[in-house]
Amino acid sequence: MKRIVVPGEIVTEERKRLGEHTFLRDGKIYSDCVGIAEEDPKIASVVPLEGSYKPKINDIIIGIILSEEYAGYTVDINSFSRCFLLKEGIRDALKPTTVVSARISKVNELNEADLTDSRPFFGGEIICVSSVKIPRIIGKNGSMLEVLKKGTGSVIVVGRNGRIWAKGGDIGLLVRAIEKIEREAHMEHLTNAMADFLSEGKPKEKLLEKTVGEEK
Amino acid sequence: MKKEKIEKIVYVNKEGKRLDGRKIDELRELKIEAGILAHSSGSAYIEWGQNKVLASVHGPREVIPKHRADPYKAIVRFNYRMATFSVPDRKNPKPGRRDIEISKVCGEALERAIFLEQFPNTAIDVWVEVFDSNAGSRVAALTAASVALADAGIPMRDLVSAVAVGRIGGNIVLDLNKDEEDADDAVDMPVGILPNFDEIVLLQMDGLFSKPEWEKAIALAMKGCKEIHKKQVDALKKKYLVEQKEGEQK
Repeated sequence: MKRIVVPGEIVTEERKRLGEHTFLRDGKIYSDCVGIAEEDPKIASVVPLEGSYKPKINDIIIGIILSEEYAGYTVDINSFSRCFLLKEGIRDALKPTTVVSARISKVNELNEADLTDSRPFFGGEIICVSSVKIPRIIGKNGSMLEVLKKGTGSVIVVGRNGRIWAKGGDIGLLVRAIEKIEREAHMEHLTNAMADFLSEGKPKEKLLEKTVGEEK
Repeated sequence: MKKEKIEKIVYVNKEGKRLDGRKIDELRELKIEAGILAHSSGSAYIEWGQNKVLASVHGPREVIPKHRADPYKAIVRFNYRMATFSVPDRKNPKPGRRDIEISKVCGEALERAIFLEQFPNTAIDVWVEVFDSNAGSRVAALTAASVALADAGIPMRDLVSAVAVGRIGGNIVLDLNKDEEDADDAVDMPVGILPNFDEIVLLQMDGLFSKPEWEKAIALAMKGCKEIHKKQVDALKKKYLVEQKEGEQK
């Protein structure tokens, strides 16, 4: 079973490389957040279960345009500071409230990010989740995302900042599936559980539709 | 005129029991719950004897007004507030001297625990609301706030556990309630520590201890804090274990 650790709890007393969300004190490695301790022979690291998004270079994120400036746009990326998208290379002017996907090209020491490779979205819906759950929604080598795409028939773009853009297919089912992943992110064999959930979900939905129709 | 005989209150009886039946080193009943507010980054609710405290954390987020921001680290804005109905007489909702002081000392205690340098130019807002109080509300507020911070996923060195120790009727006791705090010779000392590293982050004292009394009191406080720390850890882990069980049932 995976071990849940809290801030200040010992991850390991062995000599290992320091991974994410750990710190060293008196030769022991401690966790700095609520998370799951990884059992790796070389690196001691903790996968957080809670937390806000901190921009990293080359992350693909989904942002909302807030305002237009002289040389670019300010964008809300669900982080603690707004970031900047240069106008360079953008053909059509973007309006405030437009949803774009973009890549983070630069992050400074104040965690302020610059964006590039923007791509506006038309239509669709945004589903917001906690950014620490995004790796589970993508899965190993995109396995979970593949299950979600096949199960719901939607076009899905996942942003590292905790925003998911989806269009077409069964959005209601997708929302329920994502909620389930978020709730059970700390559990094992989640991809298989989700495959079961999505394959079972469809006929049940059809049954419900029929009963509603008969009542009328 | 006949002099009325004043009965002296026995705070600790021969069997070592206090007015409410607790032992000298026994805490009041403590219940902590993490993550109960949906619209905050992290939250915690604590029931400690008669004290009922709700803590919520927002952030790290932009600092407004901007001139307060520190470009080297995050700032902690701790806001302690007592509800008007939390004490027998109505409490004036205006933040008074006491509220401002508690906000300051508890905020500074948490600053020691949080890795502030990871979030420059931001603010971490901690809001603590006391619904019912019966002595020791500042330690309850600090204990709840540290659970709420961990629930928000903010990187911390350790949780902060706090408890009050004091002297009543010549006895050093743990976790005073209001009746005990009002004793003639009462000394009240709230202590907050980082339990894994035995580092003191909050220490205040109302009254005076002799040196042997102080040594006894601080040892008792450390013991009490470790007990509280266990409950804090349980509260944080319980949130996920409950979810895990629910998932298995489905």
